[in-house]
Amino acid sequence: MAANPASARHAAGVYRRSIGAYLRSIAEYPADFWVMAISGTFWQIVLFAFLSILFDNVNAIAGWGYHEMLILAGFLATSWGSTALFWDGIWDTGKLIIEGDMDYRITRPAPVLIQVASKHVGMQVFGDVTIGVLMMTVGWIGAGISAAAIPLALFLLLCAAVIQASLLTIANAANFWMKGRTPVVAFMLAELQNESMRFPLTIFPAAVRLIFTFGLPLAFASFIPVQIITGKLDLWWLAAPPIAAAATALLAVLAYRAGLKAYDSAGH
Amino acid sequence: MASVDLAFATIAFKRKIAYKTTWLFSVLFGGWALLAGLAVWNHLLGDGEIGGYDWDAMKAYLIIGFLTSTLAWAGSDWEMANRILDGLVSIDLTKPVDFQRARAAEYIGGMTASVPAAIVGTVIAALAFRPAGPASPLAAALTLLSLLFIFPLAFGISYLATLCCFVTQRFLGIQWAKDSMVAFFSGLMVPIALMPVWLQGIAWAMPFVHFTTTPASIYLGRVDTAGALGLIAAEAAWAAGLWIIGRLIWRQLVKKVTIHGG
Repeated sequence: MAANPASARHAAGVYRRSIGAYLRSIAEYPADFWVMAISGTFWQIVLFAFLSILFDNVNAIAGWGYHEMLILAGFLATSWGSTALFWDGIWDTGKLIIEGDMDYRITRPAPVLIQVASKHVGMQVFGDVTIGVLMMTVGWIGAGISAAAIPLALFLLLCAAVIQASLLTIANAANFWMKGRTPVVAFMLAELQNESMRFPLTIFPAAVRLIFTFGLPLAFASFIPVQIITGKLDLWWLAAPPIAAAATALLAVLAYRAGLKAYDSAGH
Repeated sequence: MASVDLAFATIAFKRKIAYKTTWLFSVLFGGWALLAGLAVWNHLLGDGEIGGYDWDAMKAYLIIGFLTSTLAWAGSDWEMANRILDGLVSIDLTKPVDFQRARAAEYIGGMTASVPAAIVGTVIAALAFRPAGPASPLAAALTLLSLLFIFPLAFGISYLATLCCFVTQRFLGIQWAKDSMVAFFSGLMVPIALMPVWLQGIAWAMPFVHFTTTPASIYLGRVDTAGALGLIAAEAAWAAGLWIIGRLIWRQLVKKVTIHGG
């Protein structure tokens, strides 16, 4: 993608203007904004309620108490949800391929991945992230974690958001070969994560744990960082999330580039 | 049922089975959610019980949840919503068929396409995990009867959700909100019996509870025969009630249809 500082600056400029234009367009349709933002809160409220009900009946899940579980759920909601703010356009990859719209993106003088990812903002992010941060805050205070760890949490959230966006990019890039409007692989990624990563990975069989740590590194985007924050893991683990973020980002760029090479436009 | 209803249902059925990948993925998603649920509750329950569910009963509960959610999420919400969003509804208004009845036939036809996969998945899960059996043969029969009501109930709820498209420009957010309500208040995420009493009251006062809790309670004998018949009567009442509410809301909202161009 951006090989030298000048083209990196250019790509950043394109990205900023593209996202900015979409954000301004939201102001034109306020009702839509509120429907999406409020519906974004629904699932997170339900998850909050689920954890509260569960911990009315049990004391811990695999050694994780209520407040630690809230941090896990909140961290996941915030890192996953935030991709809707800065990388939501990626979900349109399949549609752009099938409709032949990718042609226009290829001919424009800016990185294709940047153009696609910034073409849309998922307004549910405002609901998702609000309740996510609320869950993390309640968990944080309840678990008695020092405020001094907040910069650490922000750094881990940033790494997690990069991992999430990269995995989403790879999953959506699968549509270059699968030829379908629906991003089924990306849906599967969302569903896998939603169903399993809100619980401590230790409750699952060893094979599942290994896959989610090294095969599909979702653990680096929620389970491992939350263990670092809550002091369940030594601080030297801190090196793992940024390495995972860099590696998945590189893979994402390569996957999208390979996809664009395989793209043969729509027949007319 | 008139032949026109059957024709709508058949077309929706065929359309649904034509998209095999979507169909396959819906079962895979459900299967994954079931496995994750089994891992969680196995860990939590051990040899004990929570809210009156021991491990064998919880396995049955989760498998029933898999079956009901596979059916409930198999309808074509988006096709109904898009008719309103794209303005196709204006053409529907000129046709000599009732809009709600035609959509119901299509929706239930589409759901029917997922029945074989739901049954195969349930049988595999039952063989693999050996859940508790039904409380009695009568309970088993009444469970099946209660499952049949999922068809009109799923339509009724989805139809009301899609009618919101008359006032919004998009369906995605509405669908998320609806799916969250169904997942939570059906007892799919966490059994209703574990909720605080006030929340149980709210859950039982809504139609969503009949998607998982009602069939599972009848199957496991958590309600006696009279209770089971009462729950089935409640399902029938909701099916009829949602139908009438749909009619009343339609009558108001159809006045809002904006037809672009001329």
